[in-house]
Amino acid sequence: MTFPEAVGIVAVHPQRGGPATAKGECLERVAPAKQKARPRPEAPTAQEKFLLFRVGEEIYGLGLRGLREVLLPDGVTLFSSPPHQVCVALEHRGRKIPVIRMSALFEASPAGIPPTARVLLTQGQARPLGLLVDEILEMAEVDPARVGPLPALATLLSPSCFRGLFTRQDHIILLVNEDGLGGLDEVVQFYATGS
Amino acid sequence: MARTDTVSPGVTLDEASVLMFLVAGKQFAVDLNRVQHILDYQAPTRTPRRPPYVEGVIQHKGRYLPLVSLRKRLGVEGPGPENPAVLLLAGVGQDPVVGLMVDQVVRVLSLPADKLLAPPPRVFGIRAEFIRGVANAGGRPVVWLDGTKLLTSAEPITLLA
Repeated sequence: MTFPEAVGIVAVHPQRGGPATAKGECLERVAPAKQKARPRPEAPTAQEKFLLFRVGEEIYGLGLRGLREVLLPDGVTLFSSPPHQVCVALEHRGRKIPVIRMSALFEASPAGIPPTARVLLTQGQARPLGLLVDEILEMAEVDPARVGPLPALATLLSPSCFRGLFTRQDHIILLVNEDGLGGLDEVVQFYATGS
Repeated sequence: MARTDTVSPGVTLDEASVLMFLVAGKQFAVDLNRVQHILDYQAPTRTPRRPPYVEGVIQHKGRYLPLVSLRKRLGVEGPGPENPAVLLLAGVGQDPVVGLMVDQVVRVLSLPADKLLAPPPRVFGIRAEFIRGVANAGGRPVVWLDGTKLLTSAEPITLLA
């Protein structure tokens, strides 16, 4: 089987303005492919990467796309804020960034901050947003088709805070949605008032 | 299957089938048409800030379902059995399927309409709004619960001993 109409993909030489080979030779056109048919490899499934972290006793995941940095919680004004306060401030490179204390949001664990705690600096609603988690665990690659919706009855939090669920090694993992978290009243108020 | 004293011989068009189960020693039932499966208990994954009667989520055949403790929904204090049964109920709330933990499944009952009584204002402390009817099974009352109202109302319920 051949593909008579197929034309090879070429790179455009940036200086000559024409197509070029990898060696820089300018080509007008790549000849239509005349080759023996090869079995088409199955298209690889688009996997999405997530950083898995622990809050309380459960495992959650955050998409890597928006993740900028992982920080020690040194600069977070945790110690001067009430333990139940969901949104606290992080001094980061001269800016104040809202940090969601996930254990407080999820009502998941005692007020104490474990030594393994970290701040995941990401983007929520196109603005910097920190998530204070109890521990970072590992990376996971997930086929988005395997992510199921979070049942409505499962939480009293806004459904927009979660992207869904997937199962890994018999554990159900909840994926948080940074845009939904960035839309929480506490975060919106932080940006409105600056604290 | 043992016949109950509410069941008359023969099947009529006005007959309803219900699944009877126990919670805190009392007999309850749900519409059998709503029951998709009966599962052994599996420990759920705890979800954050869940309603007090929701235990978390479980997975069944690739779907994620909320797991509701009927004991907690009915305000029953104290631990339940080690291995409760889980009824998968369809069409009883916002979620397509909900897992409902009960102490023990007993049997399927056929309830002729003439044996099903309208509930009094309260049965075992449960308001009539949450009840579809009351019948007699084995000389004891069986309360046919309205699953949808039970899972969509925020009103607390306290089951009386």
